[in-house]
Amino acid sequence: MKTKDLMKPIIKCLSPDSTIKEAVNFLKINGDEKRQGSEVLPVVDQAGAIIGILSMHDILKAIHPFYLSMTETNLGNFTWDGMAESLARQAGNKTISVFMTRDVATVREKDSLMDCVNLMIKKNVHQLPVLDDRGRVSGMIYEKDIFYAITEVMLDKEKADKE
Amino acid sequence: MTPDIAQTSHMVMGWHFWFATILFLGAYALIVSEKIHKTIVAICGAAVMIAIGIVSQEEAFHSLDLGVDWNVVFLLISMMVMINIMKPTGVFEYIAIRSAKAAKGEPFRIMAIFSLVTAFLSAFLDNVTTVLLIAPVTLLICQALELDVVPYLITEALASNIGGTATLIGDPPNIMIASKAHLDFMAFIYNLTPVIILVLIAYIISIKLIFGRHLFVREELKQRVMAMNEKDAIKDSVLLKKSLIVLTITIVGFVLHGMLHLHPATVALFGAGLLLLVSGIKDPHHVLAEVEWATIFFFIGLFIIIGGVVKVGLISWMSGEVLKITQGSLFGTSMVVMWFSAFASAFIDNIPYVATMNPLIIDMARQIWPGLTGTQLLHHPDLMPIWWSLALGACLGGNGTAIGASANVIIVGMSEKMGSPISFKKFMLYGMPLMIESVLICTLYVWLRYYILHI
Repeated sequence: MKTKDLMKPIIKCLSPDSTIKEAVNFLKINGDEKRQGSEVLPVVDQAGAIIGILSMHDILKAIHPFYLSMTETNLGNFTWDGMAESLARQAGNKTISVFMTRDVATVREKDSLMDCVNLMIKKNVHQLPVLDDRGRVSGMIYEKDIFYAITEVMLDKEKADKE
Repeated sequence: MTPDIAQTSHMVMGWHFWFATILFLGAYALIVSEKIHKTIVAICGAAVMIAIGIVSQEEAFHSLDLGVDWNVVFLLISMMVMINIMKPTGVFEYIAIRSAKAAKGEPFRIMAIFSLVTAFLSAFLDNVTTVLLIAPVTLLICQALELDVVPYLITEALASNIGGTATLIGDPPNIMIASKAHLDFMAFIYNLTPVIILVLIAYIISIKLIFGRHLFVREELKQRVMAMNEKDAIKDSVLLKKSLIVLTITIVGFVLHGMLHLHPATVALFGAGLLLLVSGIKDPHHVLAEVEWATIFFFIGLFIIIGGVVKVGLISWMSGEVLKITQGSLFGTSMVVMWFSAFASAFIDNIPYVATMNPLIIDMARQIWPGLTGTQLLHHPDLMPIWWSLALGACLGGNGTAIGASANVIIVGMSEKMGSPISFKKFMLYGMPLMIESVLICTLYVWLRYYILHI
């Protein structure tokens, strides 16, 4: 199986100037209800080259105040009910360029599944943007899709052994 | 007293003079331009000064007049070690949250108390550390009360520079002046602390007028602050108790160091050693590595560069020129020193500035009172106001612009991270008038105390 066979198509590419609000609208559409978690969108520059990805985790970063986790101070205990909600209200108009994950590892459509598994383990990520022959983002491959693919193989083998 | 200006200097301006002068000016220009890190400039400049033979290595390392001022270096290192041990205890967060609760969540009261706490801590710790520890709590409190962080951050940075001016150990310029002029901790307390208290009172009134009317907090938000338990900030209460005991011993040591005939650096080194010993730290590597070595080496390099231009006579020529401008009037000199220092420090680093001014003032004193040496010269009653003017101008001047003091740079960075950037112009709009106000108060104080009342 090639990367191309398992990847999910890209609904939308973000620009680094997009606001958080715009981004979350697309992230929500992109999110598959049944397989929740690490849904992400690629961020591309004007030429269409990938410069980063925006994940749900990055959205959490956008509402997380840096002073709570500074090494110099211990303020982690001083939060209040409603803090995340009120910061979420303020975060909508920030641009995503500050919060997106840069320097992402990518795979090509024709790369094997093992290439994806290897990169995911090596870089400790849960998804990889997939590039076409011209180097443009054509899809996204997720850890859980690979998981479903390989468990199917595993369970099929068990079934065959039983029979 | 009329100084004999005609006698100013008989130096020969040979190639040594020009080489050292160009090296000095070039190094300062590079430091101001920020093209190369200031510490690298200082180290290279110092190495060239020695290699070319303008000062010998012997002079650079061991001479009191031309070389590295180890008293400053060891005082700074020792204080940094003590703070590095205390930082993780959480005591600073505790104090800040306690203060916000004492202010009952009232927005201006919080601003005033935070400013006073920052000023007080800055008088004993370095300003950057104080701001780095208090500002995060300020951000937390401002967000809890849904207040704009900018006025709070700016007032804290300004307060930290004001507070740092009050004592010998509060700000590097004072440490340098104390060492060169052989002034003790209590001399700073007698001469600078009173005027800093006046400056702080005026400062609090001013920020009340500037920001007071625009601050408002809904009652229910105050509960968020009142519900915080400041004790949660304390991470290591045993280490905290040990640290506070050692810090108290050290400050008592500073108060008594003149009487005990110990240099301030000795007292600080003792404090650092004692705290390392009792803190139970097995391997001091971490605490020592966290010393701001870039700052320390900046000082070391600067001292050697300055030594070079002192030796070739540049500083002596400059002091002659200053005396010509002020026509030998000592009151005039002290006013020029104070205001020039204030505006110079608003735009350039006050550390190289004071490193240059110290030998200049000593040289000027030598020209005015040629027969005197040692403390008779350095502590001449007519010279003292000039030292105090230098300290006040150089420390308070830092408040003028966003780049005038390191504490300002820190808060500008934090504010940007919070999504409320403070432009150079915006900082200056608040900083410059408040700086001028503080220097005006100091001008009145120096004039009244030393030239009218003579006390």
